[in-house]
Amino acid sequence: MPMSATLGAIGLLAAEEDPTRTHSWIFPEGSEILWGTLSFLVVAFLLWKFALPQGKQMMKARTARIQAQLDEAAAAKAGAEEAATSIRAAKGDIDAERQRMLADADAQAARLLSDGRARLEQEVAELMAKAESEIDSVQGRLQSEVQAEVAELAARATEQVVGQSLDDELQQQLVEDFIARVGAAS
Amino acid sequence: MSTDLGTNRIDGYAKALLEVANAEGTLDEVEDELFRFARSVEASDSLRNVLTDEQIPAGKRQAIVEDLLGAKATPTTTQLVSLVVGSGRGRDLPAIIDRLVERAAATKQRAVAEVRSAVPLTDDQQERLAAALANATGKQVELKVVVDPSVLGGLVATVGDTVIDGTVRSRLDQVKSLL
Repeated sequence: MPMSATLGAIGLLAAEEDPTRTHSWIFPEGSEILWGTLSFLVVAFLLWKFALPQGKQMMKARTARIQAQLDEAAAAKAGAEEAATSIRAAKGDIDAERQRMLADADAQAARLLSDGRARLEQEVAELMAKAESEIDSVQGRLQSEVQAEVAELAARATEQVVGQSLDDELQQQLVEDFIARVGAAS
Repeated sequence: MSTDLGTNRIDGYAKALLEVANAEGTLDEVEDELFRFARSVEASDSLRNVLTDEQIPAGKRQAIVEDLLGAKATPTTTQLVSLVVGSGRGRDLPAIIDRLVERAAATKQRAVAEVRSAVPLTDDQQERLAAALANATGKQVELKVVVDPSVLGGLVATVGDTVIDGTVRSRLDQVKSLL
């Protein structure tokens, strides 16, 4: 036996036993349906007439509010994106500045190194030239001193030899030669 | 100014010494002795230092002069040198004597010819040399011979600003400069 048939049979049995109850366990009485329908229509009309516009108004306002919030969020997003763009640009500028400073520092270091090397080379060249000049000077001085010493020794030796060879006869001869030379000069 | 004063002082002393020697009648001899003494002073640093040292009393310096010249020179020469040294003019002694010799020669219309020789010259050599120098310079000369072994050999004669050098020393010096 189906379940619905069983329940219908139970309802009929109960209605027969209790007069305050309808004959159908699922459908009300006809008048109740009528009044119920009228009441429903009245309520529906009232809802359509008064509640629905207010509901629409509320929905519209809410939609506008939500839209405003969405617009605000979009504006905030756009602002955030703009700020992000600005930050990215600033970051890019900072990177570029850092690169420029590093490049400047490298260039300055290279210039300093180059200048220092050039100066060092110049100083080395000057020192070399000075050293060579001093060497030449010392060499020349030593050569002159040696020459002078040799000349002095030679002169002493010559003087000694000449002094030993100048006997009286030669001395007298020198005197006579001098007198003759002075006399001849007149 | 001080140079003029020094020159005047030297000239004054020379003139005074010359007049004394003239008055004594021994000018030639005194002049010759003074000249040789002046050359000795120039050649000897120690003698020059002694005669010019102000720390040594004048009397002691004069005593040194008398010891040096007493037996070798005329009294007039010794006294004249002693006078100059005693008056504190020992430093100027050679210049005073040179001036005296010039003055003496000038009075005889002669120029002084200082001759340095390594060996003494005979009278004959001196006469012939004086004649040769007179012919060479155009002036009558009075020879003042100085025996100077440093010339090694030959002679060098100086008459005024004219120098005639025939010494072995000068030739050695020339050779040395060429070396």
